[in-house]
Amino acid sequence: MSRIVVTGIGIITAIGETADENRDSLIHAKTGIGKARFFNSRYTGQLPFGEINQSTELLAEKLGIENNIATRTDLLALHAAKQAIIDANLSKEDLSGNDTALIGGSTVGGMCLTDEMYADANAAGISNSPYLTSYSNSANTSFLQRYFNVGGLVNTFNTACSSSANAIMYGARLLKNGLAKKVIAGGVDSLSKYTVNGFNALMILADEPCRPFDSERKGLNLGEGAAFLVLEREEDASGKRVYAEVRGYGNSNDAFHPSSTSVEGEGPYLSMKRALEVAGLSPEEINFVNAHGTATENNDETESAAMLRLFGTPPDFASTKSYTGHTLGAAGAIEAVYSIISLQHQEVYPSLHFTQAITATGLSPITTYKQKNLQHIMSNSFGFGGNCTSLIFSKM
Amino acid sequence: MEKEALKQQVKEQIVKFLNLNTVNPTDIKDDEPLFGEGLGLDSIDSIELIVMLSREYGINIQDPKEGRKILTNVNTMVDYIEQHRTK
Amino acid sequence: MYIHQHICISPQQTNGVVDLEAIHPSSAGKLLALEPKLGGVPPGMLRRMSKAVRMGIGAGLPLIKEVNVDGIIIGTANGGMEDCIQFLNQIIDYEEGLLTPANFVQSTPNAIAGQLSLITKNRAYNATHVHNGLAFENALIDAKMSLAEKPDTQYLVGGIDEISSYNYNIDQLAGWYDSTKSNEDLYTSTAPGTIAGEGAAMFVINNNAAAALGRIDAIEAFQSMDQEQVEARFKNFLSTYNTDINHTLFISGENGDSRFLPGYTSCELAIGSSIPVVRFKHLTGEYPTSSSFALWLACQALAEQSLPAHFYKNEHNLTQIDRVILYNQYQGLQHSFILVSR
Repeated sequence: MSRIVVTGIGIITAIGETADENRDSLIHAKTGIGKARFFNSRYTGQLPFGEINQSTELLAEKLGIENNIATRTDLLALHAAKQAIIDANLSKEDLSGNDTALIGGSTVGGMCLTDEMYADANAAGISNSPYLTSYSNSANTSFLQRYFNVGGLVNTFNTACSSSANAIMYGARLLKNGLAKKVIAGGVDSLSKYTVNGFNALMILADEPCRPFDSERKGLNLGEGAAFLVLEREEDASGKRVYAEVRGYGNSNDAFHPSSTSVEGEGPYLSMKRALEVAGLSPEEINFVNAHGTATENNDETESAAMLRLFGTPPDFASTKSYTGHTLGAAGAIEAVYSIISLQHQEVYPSLHFTQAITATGLSPITTYKQKNLQHIMSNSFGFGGNCTSLIFSKM
Repeated sequence: MEKEALKQQVKEQIVKFLNLNTVNPTDIKDDEPLFGEGLGLDSIDSIELIVMLSREYGINIQDPKEGRKILTNVNTMVDYIEQHRTK
Repeated sequence: MYIHQHICISPQQTNGVVDLEAIHPSSAGKLLALEPKLGGVPPGMLRRMSKAVRMGIGAGLPLIKEVNVDGIIIGTANGGMEDCIQFLNQIIDYEEGLLTPANFVQSTPNAIAGQLSLITKNRAYNATHVHNGLAFENALIDAKMSLAEKPDTQYLVGGIDEISSYNYNIDQLAGWYDSTKSNEDLYTSTAPGTIAGEGAAMFVINNNAAAALGRIDAIEAFQSMDQEQVEARFKNFLSTYNTDINHTLFISGENGDSRFLPGYTSCELAIGSSIPVVRFKHLTGEYPTSSSFALWLACQALAEQSLPAHFYKNEHNLTQIDRVILYNQYQGLQHSFILVSR
């Protein structure tokens, strides 16, 4: 069966608006988590966020989008998808072909406009709101489809925080099954009162920069961002620059609780194991894990337990959420890009703010930048509703 | 308010806040565990009850772990409410 | 891939003893689904379920309680919209103060697939497709790929959406709904807008031809605002799958919105003016995953070899139904073609 390869990448996060800028921050351990300037909420001053340092108006202007028709989510998605499409050199004809698919993932979607949605949901009679079709979690994918005139299958996943990992998995499977020849897959989420209040109500937001896998971790920071990949079959990508292979993917449901993972990490264990099966790899062949690592009490301990079960002695691992915050539906795609640039440059980036391992598991992430021979990297994304997804990227 | 009346009120509030449609408030025993055994509530419920204590009695609990001790059963809740209520 | 079992919850008598002759009327432009009593759901979970989750559990759980499936694949545009808005209201009403998290946790669209897996302890593949009018189609495509990858497996595939009062309000402001319309004279309207609906249809799908209720031969799903392009792709779909139009039924997603009638008509004519055309939105109202109801109806037509007269748009002398072609579109943007045969 054909190998599925990555021919284009695009990304925007709190640590940069290109892959190069993101890499530079990762190498120099420069976090993007801090005081938000543009996000407007009661918690703006109280909690740290991984905010992208640009106003929605500026994002729109740079992309040449007339204001008031696109949400921040739409614009972040466009920024990243446009980069990936240019990077992979997809032509207008490529995009409009019936065999080019667009697969997104998002949890917030247009609900970044929390106040506007509240007003429209309760408005009587007539509304002049330009956003009436913008609130759904698939609106940003439709926005991209119309912008690029994508001709093939269009889809959006919302499996909470594993959404865009599932989008990439689905995209790779469409190619393997011959249902598409080119796939643009990724995800986006922007800071929103909706998610900030939701996670705050669950009491899992930290009032300090997050400390993934630390025994004293206090919870997660919310971030925002978008990333998209262009995927093609190896035989269709000849002559193109190829970043990496999408070697494996696995998904499972933890079947334990709507918002927390089982103690033994059954779901995470199964998604990692299934990804290895699809990749045809044994656990010891994985050189690095980009962990889900949200820095909540529950995630880091259960993810560690699952890694111990699967690997015995786990390989080097780290959580880039200490740079970007938790970007929810976008996290899987953003961390896919980080895995890909790690492979490309044969280097791994440190986890920040870690001092002491969790007693029960004793696992420590890497805390310094290093160059390393990397053949296979696993990236984990786990979401509410028990949804767990693992992806494996390999050097070509 | 008399302790017994407060107990009854708290039981009614538990049922209402948590949508325990199949539970009759008077069937909740004063010393019956709310979590695990007994009513079988979970971590989301414990936060819902912390919000209930705030909205109904003006009690602010910051640490969910501390909350879990206060929410052991109706007796522990009522004792805490009597000592800490601000409304 | 073959459909083996199905359960359909809708505003009509489709669950349990099926009665498609008597039609329940819409009220204030809405058709609300008839909910069954849920068995086998722990009371602790039931109390937090929104109607979308209850419908999803009601249609899905009986199918997978005794039969193991290798994946739960759900299409839902909105999932628990009502929970979402209740949490939204809390944010505003309590000015982002101390809020209760249950609505937030339940508002994620993957609550339906997640709860089905939780109740049955199913740790297999679990997916939630939310792309509006293509959410259910993508769930079917996902199942099709899963069956190609592992032929000896089977999957629960479903489409679910609920009407929430707030979502209805937003869609009505956007001009998609007209609350003065009813399902009695839905198709005679010459004005834009339609009636709202909801429902859940679930299917067990595998590769076994024996005793199947229907075979899904092809699915095509895409977005386009260009009606000529849609018609061209429909013609291409018909020729690609070499569709014989004898003994064939065309199920149309026509919904009484005058803006979309020409599109449906052009696809009818693309097959041939003599094709028997069946409509269903006077039973269901409009919702993003209504094509899941249409697929259930296709199975019904193949099994019964006839449908009540009120379904038919035109005169017909169909005595045998061997295949069904479905065309549905959502809000003029999302289009899907599905070919089902016996």
